[in-house]
Amino acid sequence: MIEHDFDEDFVPIAAELQRLPYMSPSRDFADRVISRIDRLQSARVAPVVASRHLELHQGGQQAVAPRRPMSVARATGKAVAGVALLATAAFLFFEVDILTAILSGAAAQYSLAIAAVGAQVGSMVLGAETIAYLQAGAIQALVLYLTLVVGLVGGYSAIRTAAHIAKRKAA
Amino acid sequence: MPQRSYNDVSDQQVVVFAQEGREDAYRELIKRYERPVFSLIYRMVRDNETAEDLAQETFIKVLNNIDRYRPEFKFSSWLFKIANNITIDHLRRRQVDTVSIEGAPDAVTAERARATAVTVTSGGESPLEELESRELGASIEKAIARLRPEYRACIILRHVEDYSYDEIAEIVKLPLGTVKTYIHRARQELRQYLGDLR
Repeated sequence: MIEHDFDEDFVPIAAELQRLPYMSPSRDFADRVISRIDRLQSARVAPVVASRHLELHQGGQQAVAPRRPMSVARATGKAVAGVALLATAAFLFFEVDILTAILSGAAAQYSLAIAAVGAQVGSMVLGAETIAYLQAGAIQALVLYLTLVVGLVGGYSAIRTAAHIAKRKAA
Repeated sequence: MPQRSYNDVSDQQVVVFAQEGREDAYRELIKRYERPVFSLIYRMVRDNETAEDLAQETFIKVLNNIDRYRPEFKFSSWLFKIANNITIDHLRRRQVDTVSIEGAPDAVTAERARATAVTVTSGGESPLEELESRELGASIEKAIARLRPEYRACIILRHVEDYSYDEIAEIVKLPLGTVKTYIHRARQELRQYLGDLR
């Protein structure tokens, strides 16, 4: 309550002024204001970028976020995987055995060269014991990899042989 | 982010939450002040649509600049200051110095005039009391509508919002002496208009 600093005849008017009701804006007033608060809107846009793929399924309207540049390691990995797939397909379906053999030999030589250089540099930086430990792990991984390859090739050969035998018998 | 209750939280604390980017804090500030701000603006421009636009502009300006709020001042004073500036600027642009109690001066149709005419409501009284109250309230509204906008802002801030002369001077950016003069003249004019109406 404010102190009286007016004449007595203004007292009833002052009382009426204090009783004046507040008026309300429309119901969506707060929403309209919030929709124009820059900080809140920028905070809402961030998750949309993260869910770009989901938005694609939902109609693609929000799928305007730029793609991130691919890292060198990721690109190399994808290229190697692509070449491996192509070589496998060539070997399996087109029987390009010579080409595959050449590619495999080249890859193997290349791998050995990298491994040799890497071992030398590694032994200088990390020490001979660490390198020996890592090499043991690498050999285990190589053995596992070769086992898998042999299994795949052997299985495929068995299937082809069985198919040939069945074909001959049928003829 | 979970919703929290702001029932016992001061304006200054809610502002701190808003400065951290909490949407519920922004909504709380709007909830606390949308009616006082809208009422002040409406009583100055006498047009519902315009009042809503100006109130919206006020909140957008205040909340987008919430980081600039200085806690040594009352948040409501800062808010009313922006509301008053925006409204006075609007009135100056439109050169609307006086308004008619029958409707906004720019009302070009009868429907628009009815929509912008002063209406006062109250509740919790008997029909007779309500009628008397409505008549008195309407008389006051009519009298306020005849004041100059500067007088209107000062008298509303003084008698409706209970601000001190110093606070009003800060809000309307006028010298303290000028504010006292405006309020004194506004009271005289209100007395006179209400005497004419009765």
